[in-house]
Amino acid sequence: MSVRVTDIIEAAAPEVRDLALERWCAGRTAAELLAACGELDAYRRRQSNLYHRVRALFFLAALHRYHLPARPEFPRLGRVPYDGFSRMLERRFEEAISGFLRAQAGQGANETLSSALAAAYHALGFQTLADQVRHTVRSTRGNSWMFRLGHPLDQPLRIRPELRRRGGGDAPYPLLRERTPVRMDLTHCGWSDIFFLGMDFPEGARVLNVSIDLGVHGRDTEPRPPVEAYLRVIDEPVLRLASVDLEATAAVRELDEVFDFGRDYLGLLKAAIIAAGLVPPGIESSGTRLADLLATMVGPGCGLELVSNVNRIPKGSRLAVSTTLLGALIGVCMRATGQIGALTGPMAEAERRMVAARAILGEWLGGSGGGWQDSGGLWPGIKLIEGVPARPGDVEQGVSRGRLLPRHTLLGPDRVSAAARARLQESLVLVHGGMAQNVGPILEMVTEKYLLRGEAEWAARRRAVATLDEILAELAAGDIRALGRSLTGNFFGPLQTIIPWVSNLYTERLIERTRAALGEDFWGFWMLGGMSGGGMGFIVAPARHREAQERLQEIMLTAKRELQAALPFAMDPVVYDFAINEHGSQAALLADEEALLPAGYYQLVVPHWLRQEARSLAPRERADLQQFTRASRRRPEFAAVLPALLDRMLPSASAAAETGRLDELLAANGFDRAQHEQIRADLHSGRIGLAMNRLPPTTKIEDVPADAIAGGGAPAAEWRRAGEAALRAGEVAVVTYAAGVGSRWTQGAGVVKALHPFTRFAGRHRSFLEVHLAKTRRAARTFGAAIPHVFTTSYLTHEPIDRFLRAAAGDELDRTVWLSPGRSIGLRLIPTVRDLHFAWEETAQQKLDEQQQKMRDSVRAALTAWARAAGEAGDYTDNLPGQCLHPVGHWFEVPNLLKNGVLARLLAAQPALRTLLVHNIDTLGATLDPALLGWFRSTGATLGWEVMARRVEDHGGGLARIDGRLRLIEGLALPREEDEFILSWYSTNTCWVDIDRLLALFGLRRADLADADRTAAAVRGLAARMPTYITLKDVKKRWGHGQEDVYPVTQFEKLWGDMTTLPECANAFTAVPRARGQQLKDQAQLDVWQRDGSAAYIESLGDW
Amino acid sequence: MKVRKALITAANPRQRSLPLQMLIDQQGEAKSALQIILEEAAGAGVEEFGVVVCPGDETAYAGACGALRDRVRFVAQRDPRGYGHAVLCGREFIGGEAFLHLVGDHLHVARGTTSCARQLVDVAGAEDAPVSAVQPTHESLLTAYGTVGGRLVGGDRPLYQIETVLEKPTPTVAEQQLLVPGLRAGHYLCFFGMHVLPPEVFDLLAEQQAAAPAQPFGLSPALHTLAARRRYLAFNIDGRRYDIGASYGLLFAQLALTLSGRDRDQVLAQLVELLATRPR
Repeated sequence: MSVRVTDIIEAAAPEVRDLALERWCAGRTAAELLAACGELDAYRRRQSNLYHRVRALFFLAALHRYHLPARPEFPRLGRVPYDGFSRMLERRFEEAISGFLRAQAGQGANETLSSALAAAYHALGFQTLADQVRHTVRSTRGNSWMFRLGHPLDQPLRIRPELRRRGGGDAPYPLLRERTPVRMDLTHCGWSDIFFLGMDFPEGARVLNVSIDLGVHGRDTEPRPPVEAYLRVIDEPVLRLASVDLEATAAVRELDEVFDFGRDYLGLLKAAIIAAGLVPPGIESSGTRLADLLATMVGPGCGLELVSNVNRIPKGSRLAVSTTLLGALIGVCMRATGQIGALTGPMAEAERRMVAARAILGEWLGGSGGGWQDSGGLWPGIKLIEGVPARPGDVEQGVSRGRLLPRHTLLGPDRVSAAARARLQESLVLVHGGMAQNVGPILEMVTEKYLLRGEAEWAARRRAVATLDEILAELAAGDIRALGRSLTGNFFGPLQTIIPWVSNLYTERLIERTRAALGEDFWGFWMLGGMSGGGMGFIVAPARHREAQERLQEIMLTAKRELQAALPFAMDPVVYDFAINEHGSQAALLADEEALLPAGYYQLVVPHWLRQEARSLAPRERADLQQFTRASRRRPEFAAVLPALLDRMLPSASAAAETGRLDELLAANGFDRAQHEQIRADLHSGRIGLAMNRLPPTTKIEDVPADAIAGGGAPAAEWRRAGEAALRAGEVAVVTYAAGVGSRWTQGAGVVKALHPFTRFAGRHRSFLEVHLAKTRRAARTFGAAIPHVFTTSYLTHEPIDRFLRAAAGDELDRTVWLSPGRSIGLRLIPTVRDLHFAWEETAQQKLDEQQQKMRDSVRAALTAWARAAGEAGDYTDNLPGQCLHPVGHWFEVPNLLKNGVLARLLAAQPALRTLLVHNIDTLGATLDPALLGWFRSTGATLGWEVMARRVEDHGGGLARIDGRLRLIEGLALPREEDEFILSWYSTNTCWVDIDRLLALFGLRRADLADADRTAAAVRGLAARMPTYITLKDVKKRWGHGQEDVYPVTQFEKLWGDMTTLPECANAFTAVPRARGQQLKDQAQLDVWQRDGSAAYIESLGDW
Repeated sequence: MKVRKALITAANPRQRSLPLQMLIDQQGEAKSALQIILEEAAGAGVEEFGVVVCPGDETAYAGACGALRDRVRFVAQRDPRGYGHAVLCGREFIGGEAFLHLVGDHLHVARGTTSCARQLVDVAGAEDAPVSAVQPTHESLLTAYGTVGGRLVGGDRPLYQIETVLEKPTPTVAEQQLLVPGLRAGHYLCFFGMHVLPPEVFDLLAEQQAAAPAQPFGLSPALHTLAARRRYLAFNIDGRRYDIGASYGLLFAQLALTLSGRDRDQVLAQLVELLATRPR
């Protein structure tokens, strides 16, 4: 009997329910798949069961994204209706889907529309899941009342009397301190602690979670609970917030400021105050006063101070530090208001669960999200955390198979003996590798794969679930060596099968070198969670534990230095000391002389007090100052902060040194100060700006029909023959743009994208640059000719790429592999408020989930205030010098070949050279295809451009007929955003160049290239005719312990596609398949890229 | 469960003068709060009254008892060790029978003609079980009252079997342990200041005292234990309680008495005039 696609969703029998969609699709035609889409869409509309609905949505997304485009008979070309697209941006996914389906009925099904449908179904699936988790969090018993409270007089919470009892007069109020260990996950059970998974597959959601104290090896004397939260009453009607780690303080006076998370670095503290019910979520925007709320809760004229401290544990530790901190903050607030029975000591089980539920709420409020095991540090010791099936009476009953909150089973000494615990501690070297990456996309991939039941991934998930029992047995037996083996097997087996991107070259290099250093005494590798590169564990023989700590420190530092240009490191690696914490979260009430905040707190606030007149200090400030002074005399940790405190009061000398380095860099890279000042003046006066990039609204924009460009049919055989002949004759070279630092690829982390070892081909990690070299090697071998390959570089990328190629290509460098260093550079500017408004308010934006959107709005308001305060269009210099400069667009890449003499040297070395294939670093499918080469030669054009059928994710212009002329147009130059949606063709930015015709366009001949002045003048002349675009880019600023901020900065660029606007430049255009033309811009694309066969295709193109 | 005696606690050292406050009752007569409470109990068939007071307050309170003075016995609470201890002080007076317990800082006004105490005593008699009077109370007021969790057992009548009793819970705890099906969202069954209790409650209080002799203790933990040991009910009284110790409590109690009594129209007219002449 044949299985209908909806049977897979509804079936009770596991063999049908767990059938992989890919298997069901195998052998079915596009027409059959389209019929299945219709069936699924109708099914999901009538289905009330949440998970059935969601699974149908993911099936639909997969059919449109992977299975339909893979059918050869499926039409490629179509148009996405702008209305539908704008609905998607507004998160009105149902309406978007209806619009796309109407368009499909009109145009017929095609790949372009399917890409839009896939995106909309995918987003609706995640929106449905997120809404459900949110709904469950709100309706969890103990949380709901906070959403009903709307007036200060209704606030039922009162600060406990013990906290309002002071020593007398101006003595400070007692301090309530919560100390919480962090958690580590001993099993990494295939990310099964994602809420969606736990709620649909509770039997597979199991982790072994250990509470630990932590110290940085070599810095701290001993491990201690790394997370602390302090709360006390103060004599002013405000909320004082301080984050010792983030070095931020604030006095919140208005109710709405509490809900403004992005305004400063205190969002987590604010989320805790809300989630703990002190300022309940229901009171947001009520128009009432914070002072009244505080008066009800604390007493008239009184307020609260909340302080967080994380003992300098860096971000990205994979130890759930931020969720633990949120839990500790919520815990201290709930104790202070009697929501937790015991003011001091540990919490009861029901209370820990309540705090965990509130932490989930707090994460949602703050627009972030963790897993359900992340509050594990509240519980003591080692525990098994498992999903729980929903039962009658649960809010989840009838909605999801599992409950939101898992069950915690403490594994006491009867299950894991004291000796086994000691052995684990003696064998494990816990480290932070220095990378801090966003794991959000990984968690989405895991959810999607789970719902689709990909065959390999599903088998891997079941294997990972079984691994937990193995690990539990090994731990119980105290067999740490076997434990190491299982953990390593888990990392290289199930985890990498489910998500290959959890590993990276850095991690594998560490494992390889640790194994080499310790031999048989290296027992295993353990990935802590999320993805590797940050928090990780190495299990070693106890006898060599101390040595391994030292060795790993060296190994990590060396590997980091080797790879820091290629991978985004946030900080230098560290080794931790750790101990299992057998108490969980505990509170203490500190009074009188003991009522001290962390030493770092005083380091933060005392300089400000010292700058004031003594008589202007508030009584609390004076009392705190006296308290600190007394503590400094008798406690070394307080005395130790005095020098740093004084440093903080004096101006730093390092800022001046950094400015000096920036000036040197500008001078060394041909910075044009006059042009820069002109741009600044133009920006100020409004002559240029984001809005001015656009062509006049009267411009006529038309689409280009398929028959107007080449490539509609199969390339003619004679083109192929001609191309092959040219290749054999050594007439072709490749130019790859490698000047960029992948702003989108690493969200402005400033690493060399070309060197990013992003995927594994032929058994090891490969960078973009290696992929391109492998393809050129294949072509050179196939055609038996030398094929020069040029990588264009910039001030940011030249040195690392040069170093890499000297090691990798050896004497091939400057013979077949060439570098073309950039000769133009810009200095980034602080954006104008006008441009920020244009980018954020006047262009269509993807609206985010409710809380995330609030967070984004708040951050944007803060950034606008920053731009205003720092000076609009001022030089952006408050960062590392390299992060203040910018490349000036790829228009300059080819002319640079002329200016820097590389083309002249190439022609001298290989005079037969006639054609260049120029492409982006991330266009992995660009090869020296002889048929395309033959086509280009046959056109007699100067430049030959490759375009491909547009998908919904392809933004940035394309091929169009502009006022009658066929040309490429940048997205930012289109008069209206909707204009892009009438264009069927997207530019791949891959361009064939006829060298001599191009030289002629510049007014040059080959021989003129020796004359540097003439060449420079020719380039300057043509550059002046190219439009200059103003763009906003994100740049990361790193600080503290792995913290990163992202700032928008203004830069300008000229783009190569605008060569098509020159009337004297003969252009030709051809359509190429997506596999050849698609670009990898974002790491979140990687999984799709691998699953849709693109990765396998690229691997087939090279000689590895 | 026959009720013949009432125990009234009025020994809170911070509220010693509350039961002595004078109000005008429904019939327009000036009476002390204590007298109104005693009459409420007498109307339910109570014959003897025990009032737990701070030492030295007996004379003043005796003067505030009105016509029932002869049936009232005062019991002094020597050490102020909490509400539970005050109730325990009445053990000897009550002896081995069920009793009506009222608190000296609450006045009760029935909606209909049957007084609140009468309603409660009737239910206790009919069900032959201890019963606490309750009133659905908004969660913002939870921290002022003992609160019960349980399930409806009375069919049409608002009668509940108590499973949990917590003193002044936070709404966080209340949502987890005290939700009662059928009530409006955000409302809980809070004590009305009126109970019919069996004599075994004294044993439970004595156990509490023995467990921590130096600590003050409340009544709610004993009632929670009582619920675990025997059938113990809550009845949603058709009336309202007024805590005269709360801010403006005396004013609201007076208004409630007056607006349900003889002088309703007169007072209403004066209130309207007051509102009209003092817009703010």
